[in-house]
Amino acid sequence: MDFTSLIAVFLGVVLVNNFVFAQFLGICPFLGVSKNVSMAFGMGCAVTFVMTISGVVTWVIVHLILTPLGSRFLGNPESLYFLKYVIFIMVIASMVQLVEMYLKKFFPSLYTAFGVFLPLITTNCAILGACLLIDMNEVYQSSLVKSAVFAFGGGVGFAMAITIMAGIREHMRFSDVPKALRGAGITLLTACILALAFQGFAGIGK
Amino acid sequence: MANATTDLQQFKAGLFENNPVLVQLLGMCPTLAVSNSIENGLVMGAAVIFVLVMSNLITSLLRNRIQAHVRILIFTLTIATFVTIADMALKAYVFEVSKKLGPFVPLIIVNCIIICRAEVVAIKSSLRRSLADALGCGIGFTMALCILGAIRELLGAGGLTVFKDWGLAWHLDPKTFEPHAWVIMIMPPGAFLTLGIVIGVVNQYRARKAKGGA
Repeated sequence: MDFTSLIAVFLGVVLVNNFVFAQFLGICPFLGVSKNVSMAFGMGCAVTFVMTISGVVTWVIVHLILTPLGSRFLGNPESLYFLKYVIFIMVIASMVQLVEMYLKKFFPSLYTAFGVFLPLITTNCAILGACLLIDMNEVYQSSLVKSAVFAFGGGVGFAMAITIMAGIREHMRFSDVPKALRGAGITLLTACILALAFQGFAGIGK
Repeated sequence: MANATTDLQQFKAGLFENNPVLVQLLGMCPTLAVSNSIENGLVMGAAVIFVLVMSNLITSLLRNRIQAHVRILIFTLTIATFVTIADMALKAYVFEVSKKLGPFVPLIIVNCIIICRAEVVAIKSSLRRSLADALGCGIGFTMALCILGAIRELLGAGGLTVFKDWGLAWHLDPKTFEPHAWVIMIMPPGAFLTLGIVIGVVNQYRARKAKGGA
């Protein structure tokens, strides 16, 4: 396992295949929670946190529990894979619950900072998306470390995108937006320009 | 939100005045991601309609037995089960499209439209009402995807392709079109641009209608 390939995975998912701008994951919080920078940053951190943990846990479940069980008792390593989606969503839901309880007990200040975002994360498609992408890609299937870096990078990319967006929206509060475009419309158009900028990274690291 | 009184009105509300994508802004991720061609939109729409109808059906049948504090868990597990079925069916019958949709078929599990319909309608309505609502919202979602997909595919690829094997395809001559193609429309920024403008147009239309009606 060399270090440069890990950096390539990380930069790839933060810049080139950014979860929000290139893969359209986590658009709901991106539009909903991007009104001010500190809230957006809190959401980004909470997502990064949960995404890394659930990415690792689902990898472990698929490769160290489902596959061996399938090949041992049913003769085919893939015979239990139909359970994947149900397991993924349950892992994410319980991870969120667990993280919430842990933070409440040991880091109360962090808990109040994350506040309402933690329960919202269960239905954040970026988290399930990260688990699914890890599960679909052969590179990550073979390496837990790379999967963990991918999940962490995905979270960082999401945090970056939502914080940039919140920064822009804070300034846009004073501009005269046509009535019909106020709210979601202008946010999507801004996202379009940001996505264009992120297109500039395409091809790096290939 | 319009207060629907009959099943038919509930069905129609999902199509137009309460369209899940263009008015309620639910389910944005799949809308942006799979609207690069009309074909993807149709297949994705079919999967969502199936899952939405089945989850509303189950939720409505169980509505008197589900305890309030575990309802979200039950919704999610029901949805995940039917998404697994839909995913297998798509892989078996339209493999090419299902490969293009990638993670967005399993991501129907966390599609807010479905949980929203279970929570708002199915958990407290009769079976017929829930099914009418599911069909309305599902078809409304598919319609929105197809509108966006058609715009993006026309501008970006110069034609519409719906299931090539069935001969349902129409394309401009590539030689005349290619120099003018807006390739950006089928790439990620085009998705944000098209959806932003379409939502703007819908808002404008609704504002004008509200003014005229009052």
